[in-house]
Amino acid sequence: MKTKTKLLVMGLGLLFTLSCTKYPPATDRLLEDLVVLTQYDTKADFNSYKTYSISGTIKKITNKDTTDITGPQVTAVLNEIDINMKARGYTPAASSQKADLGLDVVYYENTYVYTYYYNWWGYYYPYYPYYPYYPTYYSSYTTGMGCIEMMDLKNYDPNTQKIYIRWDAFIRGLLTGSHTTSDITWSIDQAFIQTPQIKTSL
Amino acid sequence: MKKAVLLIVMLVLSWGFLRAQENTASAGYMPHSYYTFSWNSIFPLGDFDKWVSQPSPAGFDIGGRYLIHKGLTAGFNIGWERVAEIYGRQTYTIPDLGIAITAENYRFTWMTPFQAVIAYHFIPNKIISPYISLGIGGDYMEHHLLVQEYDIYKTYWDFSLTPEIGALIRFGVFSQWGALVAFNYKWTTNKIDFYQTTSKDLQMLNLKIGLAFILR
Repeated sequence: MKTKTKLLVMGLGLLFTLSCTKYPPATDRLLEDLVVLTQYDTKADFNSYKTYSISGTIKKITNKDTTDITGPQVTAVLNEIDINMKARGYTPAASSQKADLGLDVVYYENTYVYTYYYNWWGYYYPYYPYYPYYPTYYSSYTTGMGCIEMMDLKNYDPNTQKIYIRWDAFIRGLLTGSHTTSDITWSIDQAFIQTPQIKTSL
Repeated sequence: MKKAVLLIVMLVLSWGFLRAQENTASAGYMPHSYYTFSWNSIFPLGDFDKWVSQPSPAGFDIGGRYLIHKGLTAGFNIGWERVAEIYGRQTYTIPDLGIAITAENYRFTWMTPFQAVIAYHFIPNKIISPYISLGIGGDYMEHHLLVQEYDIYKTYWDFSLTPEIGALIRFGVFSQWGALVAFNYKWTTNKIDFYQTTSKDLQMLNLKIGLAFILR
């Protein structure tokens, strides 16, 4: 009976210990996921726009500099945006000057450096304690986020030089885990799917 | 013939043994009080099920009961429970702001229930003592929504009622140790409101299995 009681107590204790976890074991899975966030101007009439123009490159902004990037992945991204705009009834403009909407793609890459330390203390055997000291450790992580901006070129005001952004799409998590070109084009499609307001009729 | 005699002798002895057990069982003792430590499984119901539909084995409960009169006892329960579920990519919208977000998300709720309990044991001096009880108290709940590295959470206190049926099972007639098995339904005034997801009057079922220490 004593053995059974002990086993039952141990079993309950184990269950109790296993219960006490705050964050899920799936946290890594969440960090590697791509998040697609969009916001459109609720007062905009997307049906009033007919043509569009897409920038030929993607701007990459890091902590250090800003550059234009090209390559197969860039081509795939711009092509996917082009496909989605055509599917929604828009027509590519002959030039950006004649377009109603301008689409620009920016890729942000930020490196965050942070410090942390452990509090070390102790004593010299057998008598004297020594003061705590704080060795400092550095670590960093880099995040990647893509941003598609849809600018209203039709209603550009040359007096105020204001361009209104009618739609933004942010794709977070590009540098966590491993993401293929297919993942990125999926996220572009999703950005348009979750904004059904972007459409026009001829 | 020898086998028949042997069989009759064995039957008589067995009958005597069983009668002895019955007599010692009805001897028993009336407990003065008992304390329990049990493991809880939670089954979300109703609106709570919309938030997290998966049952959870993560929970424990500590309780005490004190005999007032015959089978009537009063006491307390405090505990900790968690329900959690990961959801694949889903789209959530805030139409007024023109916002939409598609992401995997992890939802979980921490609960700390605390209750005063009144219970009635039908045969408190027996090895197996079934009971019914009603817990009145409250909970502290934290509702978390995790998207990537963001943890969005809300905390609420509430009022709750918990009717329960169960049984206290002693390990022996005069043993001070026993097991507790119980099942209860809990209704709370707690709520969850994260933009599109709104749940109120959270309800759940609980299964409790644990250990009891009984004082004479």
